[in-house]
Amino acid sequence: MNEDELILMIGGPQGSGLETTAQILTSSLAYSGYGVISDREYYSNITGRHSYIHMNVSPHRIPLDLTYPVKLLGAMDAETIFTHFNDLDKGGFVIYDRSVRGRKLDSIVSMPPITKSRIREVLEKLGIGRDAGSLIDYLVENRGITGVELDFRSFLKDISNKFGIVSTQATRYTSSILVGALAGLIDIERDAIEYGLRRRFGSREKLIKHNIYLIDKVSRQVSEEYGTPMKLPPSKLNVGELLVASGNDIIAMAKVVAGLRFQSYYPITPAADESFFLETYNNFGDKGSILVIQTEDEIAAINSAIGAALAGARSATATSGPGFSLMVEGFGWAGINEVPVVITYYQRGGPATGLPTRGAQSDLMYSLFASHGEFARIVLTSGDHIEAFYDAIEAFNLAEKYQVPVIHLLDKFLANSIVTMEIPDLSSVKIDRGEIVDGGPGYKRFDLSKTISPRAFIGSSAVMWYTGSEHDEYGHTNEDPVFTARMYEKRMEKLDIMDKEIPLDLRIRYYGEKNPDYLLVGWGFVKNTCLKAIDNLKRKGLKGGYLHLRMFMPFPVKYVEEILEDMDISRVIAVEHDYMVQSALAISLFTGIRIRNSIVKYNGRPIYVHELTEAIEKVLSGEDNRVVLTYGA
Amino acid sequence: MARNPSTYRSGLWIDWCPGCGNFGIITAVYKAFSELDLDPSKTVVVGGIGCSGKTPHFINVNGVHSLHGRAIPFATGIKLANPELTVVVNGGDGDILGIGMGHFIALGRRNVDITVIMHDNGVYGLTKGQAAPTLKRGIKTKALSKPNIQDAINPIAIALSAGYTFVARGYSLNIDHLKELIKQAISHKGASFIDVLQPCVVYNNIYTREFYSERIYVLDEVGDWDPEVKSERVDEMMQKIDQAWRRSLEWGDKIPIGIFYKNPNYSTFEERLSMEVPTYLEKPPAKQVITTSEGRPIFTGDVFREFFSKYIIRTKNNRR
Ligand SMILES: Cc1ncc(C[n+]2csc(CCOP(=O)(O)OP(=O)(O)O)c2C)c(N)n1
Ligand code: SF4
Ligand SMILES: [Mg+2]
Repeated sequence: MNEDELILMIGGPQGSGLETTAQILTSSLAYSGYGVISDREYYSNITGRHSYIHMNVSPHRIPLDLTYPVKLLGAMDAETIFTHFNDLDKGGFVIYDRSVRGRKLDSIVSMPPITKSRIREVLEKLGIGRDAGSLIDYLVENRGITGVELDFRSFLKDISNKFGIVSTQATRYTSSILVGALAGLIDIERDAIEYGLRRRFGSREKLIKHNIYLIDKVSRQVSEEYGTPMKLPPSKLNVGELLVASGNDIIAMAKVVAGLRFQSYYPITPAADESFFLETYNNFGDKGSILVIQTEDEIAAINSAIGAALAGARSATATSGPGFSLMVEGFGWAGINEVPVVITYYQRGGPATGLPTRGAQSDLMYSLFASHGEFARIVLTSGDHIEAFYDAIEAFNLAEKYQVPVIHLLDKFLANSIVTMEIPDLSSVKIDRGEIVDGGPGYKRFDLSKTISPRAFIGSSAVMWYTGSEHDEYGHTNEDPVFTARMYEKRMEKLDIMDKEIPLDLRIRYYGEKNPDYLLVGWGFVKNTCLKAIDNLKRKGLKGGYLHLRMFMPFPVKYVEEILEDMDISRVIAVEHDYMVQSALAISLFTGIRIRNSIVKYNGRPIYVHELTEAIEKVLSGEDNRVVLTYGA
Repeated sequence: MARNPSTYRSGLWIDWCPGCGNFGIITAVYKAFSELDLDPSKTVVVGGIGCSGKTPHFINVNGVHSLHGRAIPFATGIKLANPELTVVVNGGDGDILGIGMGHFIALGRRNVDITVIMHDNGVYGLTKGQAAPTLKRGIKTKALSKPNIQDAINPIAIALSAGYTFVARGYSLNIDHLKELIKQAISHKGASFIDVLQPCVVYNNIYTREFYSERIYVLDEVGDWDPEVKSERVDEMMQKIDQAWRRSLEWGDKIPIGIFYKNPNYSTFEERLSMEVPTYLEKPPAKQVITTSEGRPIFTGDVFREFFSKYIIRTKNNRR
């Protein structure tokens, strides 16, 4: 691991201000010039269940991967300590409130019984009592961990007295105590904290003042007592500006740039935040506006987006698995009618409600084949926030150029993690709307003289028809056996055209040296975790490559064949967030090459660098050809 | 000079059964379009799926033959993207009140300026005569093996409670009356709904031409019937909804047709959108230019920085 990077975690009940804390910390650290990724893990719950923020802070790079153990654990409650004590590194710090010491594992009602009994077993094995105090003592005595015990109540009382805040209101400042303690141990400068607070609270001066006072006080007390043991070296990142955004945010920003003009949605985790963002940033004055509409369900979402596309607006909808399941019939309609519509699809654990707030990559095959019948579609995936930004724009260009529906397949890991990134470079971004005509009399929407018929909008000078049934060139229902086959081929041939025309870089990327000792194959959010693991193993003398699949339809058959045929297939490992290793299935489907080694994870938590690194070694040593990862809380 | 009704015929052979009530509906549509002189390229007919759903193909204006139950969402997307278009939905009773009910309600709530013409034949025509949501309980039409055991929906009452600001009923064989309703519905600003009683000569042997001709009466011919809300007063609106609702319960010896309710003073969705984005009507989604002449985004790097400045952090030490 990189010794100069800081892995930290803060945990507590949902609704206790963790998200705000993470935002403040991320901004403060970014202001100080550090690269940050901050992942949020939570239940489908508004108040009370355990959630946590897992951060990686780097002075020399922009991290996009997550790993364990953590050096710092900030606990809002006893549940956090019970849940995460094994995540703490030797020499690490745990920050907690004095009152949690007396809390017993069994008395934590928000912890699911199964989790409780699992933790109980671990405690028993280690001979630790069932109260948080005993556990903390154990960590201090046996694991070289320092306990930073604070009296939350006295801090709260202090600000409540000082600023005349009623004590019930003062508890809202609890999370700032953690910020203060972390600021002390990391030595985040005061101006950076103030900056973070200002960004979060804007002009709410009182709130800022109270927070600064509290954070300052805690931070001083902590560093007086413990020093600044986690002080980060000065940033070596040579950036003047950083964009701080979640995956949802960055996609929304990209859609604004892309010229999106109609977005429909029905609320669902982890997609809804994107539409919220667009609702906020939908009016650009003389530069235009986006109509964002919350529909009655996902069926209406996709079908109204299609309607808007027929009228000529760049249009999209954003959803997750359950929502897409409702959209599928409309998706097929867009296919047979060659409608450019973009579906931003954030995968989460399934089936049904599955793991509503956790990540997965198990909808790949579904995206490739969803809908009855056959038609040309594009399935584009992105490995991180930066890729996702440019891909989200390209999704619209491809949709309109080829007149096909596009699925931009993402996941919860990307959606909810906040990262720092360089500001996207718009100088090379293009808008390609494909061949658009005004139509005129006699216009044939599905003119067969071209595979991709010139598109006129409803509302142009033309009159046109669309139907979900097989149709003639005008869009009228037609089932003539000879003609039907021709129209069918017109739609399907687009797959070949797209395969020939779409630049390879948008479809697949290879990272690493030539002739590697082993090759990882992955897509989506596993990208940067793979790259980091490869980097780690390089230090051990293992030369790795990473094949990053981006477009699954049309699939870059030739390129994948070339790469895989050059490799000893026993040294190729597919890495994915699912059980069936669907990307390997897709590869064998399209190329006939079967990848037998896999590292998978399907418990809804992200794949972490440390466990992936270990698993790669295990596979390469021949010990196992399938490793199932499970780390995380 | 207004376009002749025949210019609105697409010329396709209409494959409805001879004698089907749908012929009356489409004739009334041709006439209404003609009298309103609708520009075919600025008019869109969106159909659902069913015998009725095929309507767009038979009309020479833009036509979208959508999915079963989904005509309203398609129409909503089209209309909101380009509010200059006249958008009419033609769907069956199964389509609109069965599988598509959620959308039917949603359109009322939004009061988007769309006209819904529902072909109410009491059956699922195209799938061979199963009971539609408007078929009364206890009735056994030809194709049913047993009498219907589900209660019927009252389309007028539902439209009123959903928020439609124009609610009417027509009869497919009273073409001129229906034509007038369609004209008024299209001219009405807001969501309009016409429940059109339509004999299905093949599957509905109960609600036949004879059945209707004995029972139907025209609301306008009732002495003091006035369905229109004239002010923005809530009590007037409530009184008009109340009288419409009472009339909607009549289904027996007498069945009313005509306008049940009309409220031109209620805000449309388009108006609500304009309150938020004042340029909406003038530059709706479909009419905005989203690219420069060089094929580049309207958002340049500088605009991006400014617009999303809240998300951009100027770092402390490494200012370039
Ligand atoms: C999702 C879906 N389910 C079922 C069908 C089959 N289907 C076609 S038309 C129809 C019913 C049509 O009844 P109605 O809407 O009343 O129209 P009508 O034919 O009576 O005019 C059904 C169920 C379909 N096309 N799509
Ligand atoms: S089945 Fe009934 S509704 Fe359908 S076309 Fe024939 S008569 Fe008309
Ligand atoms: Mg019907």
